[in-house]
Amino acid sequence: MRPGIAVRPDNAGLYVHVPFCSAVCPYCDFAVSVARPGEHAAFLSAVSAEAHNYRDWPLPFDTVYFGGGTPSALSGTALQELLATLRAALPIAPDARVFLEANPEDITPAYLGGVTGLGVHTLSLGVQSFDDRELRLLGRRHTGAQALEAVRRCLAAGIHTVSVDVIFGLPGQSRAELEVTLRAIEQLRPHHVSCYQLTIHEGTNFHRRERSGRLTQLEEDRQAELYEYLTRRLAECGLQPYEVSNFARAPQFQSLHNNKYWRHVPYLGLGPSAHSFDGSKRWWNLRNHRAYADALTEARTPVDDCETLEAADLALETLMLGIRTAAGIDLDAYRERFAVDLASVNAELLSELCALDYVECTPASLAPTPRGMAVADALAAQLDTGL
Amino acid sequence: MNNVRNFCIIAHIDHGKSTLADRLIQACDAVSDRDFHDQVLDDMELERERGITIKSNSVTLNYRAKDGELYQLNLIDTPGHVDFSHEVRRSLMACDGAIIIVDASQGVEAQTVANLYLALEHDLELLPVINKIDLPAADVDRVREEIDEDLGLDPFAAIPISAKNGIGIDEVLEGIVQHLPAPQGEREAPLQALVFDAQYDSYRGIVLSCRVRAGELRAGSKVRFMHSGREYEVHEVGYNRLKREKADALPTGGVGYVITGIKTIRDVTIGDTLTELGRPADAPLPGYQPAKPVVFSSIYPMTTDEYPELTAAIEKLALNDAALVYQKDASAALGFGFRCGFLGLLHLDVVQERLKREFELSLVLSAPSVLYHVTLKDGNVIDVDNPANWPEPVDIDGVEEPYIKASIMVPENHMGAAMTLCREHRCASIQTNYLAKGRMEIVAEMPLAEVLFDFYDKLKSATRGYGSFDYEELDYRPGDIVKVDILVHHEKVDALAFLAHSDKARGRALHYSEQLAKSIPRHQFKIPVQGAIGSNIIARSTINAFRKDVTAKCYGGDVSRKRKLLEKQKKGKEKMKLVGSVQIPQEAFVSVLRTDQP
Repeated sequence: MRPGIAVRPDNAGLYVHVPFCSAVCPYCDFAVSVARPGEHAAFLSAVSAEAHNYRDWPLPFDTVYFGGGTPSALSGTALQELLATLRAALPIAPDARVFLEANPEDITPAYLGGVTGLGVHTLSLGVQSFDDRELRLLGRRHTGAQALEAVRRCLAAGIHTVSVDVIFGLPGQSRAELEVTLRAIEQLRPHHVSCYQLTIHEGTNFHRRERSGRLTQLEEDRQAELYEYLTRRLAECGLQPYEVSNFARAPQFQSLHNNKYWRHVPYLGLGPSAHSFDGSKRWWNLRNHRAYADALTEARTPVDDCETLEAADLALETLMLGIRTAAGIDLDAYRERFAVDLASVNAELLSELCALDYVECTPASLAPTPRGMAVADALAAQLDTGL
Repeated sequence: MNNVRNFCIIAHIDHGKSTLADRLIQACDAVSDRDFHDQVLDDMELERERGITIKSNSVTLNYRAKDGELYQLNLIDTPGHVDFSHEVRRSLMACDGAIIIVDASQGVEAQTVANLYLALEHDLELLPVINKIDLPAADVDRVREEIDEDLGLDPFAAIPISAKNGIGIDEVLEGIVQHLPAPQGEREAPLQALVFDAQYDSYRGIVLSCRVRAGELRAGSKVRFMHSGREYEVHEVGYNRLKREKADALPTGGVGYVITGIKTIRDVTIGDTLTELGRPADAPLPGYQPAKPVVFSSIYPMTTDEYPELTAAIEKLALNDAALVYQKDASAALGFGFRCGFLGLLHLDVVQERLKREFELSLVLSAPSVLYHVTLKDGNVIDVDNPANWPEPVDIDGVEEPYIKASIMVPENHMGAAMTLCREHRCASIQTNYLAKGRMEIVAEMPLAEVLFDFYDKLKSATRGYGSFDYEELDYRPGDIVKVDILVHHEKVDALAFLAHSDKARGRALHYSEQLAKSIPRHQFKIPVQGAIGSNIIARSTINAFRKDVTAKCYGGDVSRKRKLLEKQKKGKEKMKLVGSVQIPQEAFVSVLRTDQP
């Protein structure tokens, strides 16, 4: 690799995948399952063993992210022990920000007391919707009222960033139906909102229903209308998009951890299916949590596969991830890393895309407009990396 | 000569012609059971799979009849489909008699009648056979009635058989000997041998199949093709007994093969007459009719770098298919290809299938067209089959299009649906004939262009599979023909232009524009897809600009999967055809140009 291609950061991110859920949602294609007795313990000792394999990790971690699955499926005590084990094995900065995903039905006063005691910086609530009918369609285990209550409790507990995760673009979803959720957000005023468009993945229950004609994905123009509408409504609530799916009330509420994925900052992923990246290599663990735990019990590597990213791969990722963010692609940094002037390579296309209000081009950056952000993938497919 | 029988088997498709041929060959021990594979005469994979015979072939059998005499039976195979009627004709010219098969459950069908007429035209004696009598739906009595009424043959002469189960095969062999005539001809007269087939052999060059009408065809003699004038020395003659068996000469009335060192099938005209150089006949045998293409289409490789492979494949195919006419063609959208002429739709289909299967090529075919006679204002008449060569409308004085006489046989209760279908396809005149017991024949004069697309499929579905269809070419008649251009983002896509009757232009243009709008991915701008006659827009669809991606998630650091998806998408773009600033995927051309839709 040519010098200069790797980003040289001071810190890295740590991700832990908790593969358990109380039930598997019909749209979910993540590595999750319903735990059998004893599997929590097996998982925790496997993660601990895996963490020890990386005790020579060179960069300090300033973010620790518990994602899933449902990290709140683990008790507060179990989470506390897990964090202590990680701190003992890995170079986690004392003031590292801790991110935690949780389901609304798990936010009891006792649980909340436990996690605030751990110093959780960002709590992301898997609300998905505040509408009971939509929640039933999505196979969630909470009601709209429970979700409202959970968000209120988290905000009252003084957690730095409370994020509400939402899914939009449900089959047949109208603007008025989405408005139920947006109005709740307007009232609750969380610091951060993530809005994911429903995508139907192969192997999921939704996919089977779609194939047999019992469920129809919302068509592109309707998805676009809903996205434009929610972007406008969230802006009215003071939530500005800083990435395709992520909205923050102020810069300090943006996800420092997720930003690392978008900026090629190294990260270490522990747990089944977790991905890691060291600046040039990316590797990922076995998806099945039992296979993952067995590997570590038998002192084998739980790594499923890895790839070394060439300059062209890194450039394509930089482009594809950068165009998803409001800040856009840093053209100077791109030129420095890849010795390519992205703006001149794509001069003709960019002038067309500018004229059509998909991108904004300054000498320093290439950033999507709100209209462009909705089609960031399509823009990435048009742009030439110059490599 | 008295112990020779030259005959063929004629039948509607699927009525069991090849199976009966197999049984006759087996019964005469021409082939050992070990070598035997079903339908030995159909030696192309495609023929076996589709159960149709595309190329004629012949085989010589020895049969010891009940009278104790040894007979030489020359079985001449014929193709079973309308497109190949000229091949049927020349096969019939080599025969003195024919077995006509009727399916015991289906009865007389359109091609049975068409083939009967052809056989009668050539003065052949006919031996009717009722096949598939073992089927539960077999109704031998009803079929006998149809043989009497529809075919005008003696119903009591018909032999009931099951070729599949070997029932009645001996009776058929005896029937051939007793009812079909021995060949006639003057032994001492100058040589007249009819060339009724030719095949390419990679070791021997062209192998001709001949029927000697007069004189004798000797190995080592010098011969001339009376129509083409070409002269050759006869290297070898003999009989086809599944393997070639050399002989000194083919006698009068004989059917066998001839090798003269001809290298390419282009140098042979089927139907030509061979005569001896030293003692030539006064005139060639009658009935010579060169095959001429009636359906045209351009064939392009799916990816332009496959053009050399396509060229090699077409040249190789043409070695054995004298009826395939082709010339180099180029499209701005699809690159280099070939403009090809075919004998009919099935011929087109067979060529396309063989290119795909035997040469593993992915193809795009332009919409099939017929040959139009265009009279220009300056009085000149030109023939046009390719929309690219269509004159400017202001220069056209009139257009004539080819008509066919379609013969459709349907059960009475489906007659209304079949007649409606004919009317929808611009039939000029329509007549109905009552056949036996609730079966009708519809004879319709209609433009050939009207049956090029989905006519046969529609007929099948309108008649629940009972309708059968055959046609013969009729004449040329005036028609209001227009050229329709397809424009994507205001750019003409040359490969999609088509010629159509003005009544049909709009419907087809609409179908094209809708299909294209469905299969062209969204771009950053709105794309109109239009059908136009000159500057007059007759159909329009719109592809909206892209507005929202499908995949929004990039979670947990799994960036690799997303990047790989994007790489795939970028690769796909490279394969697309660029028309103006619009990228059109190959699938879009395929979806539009599928011939099973209007």
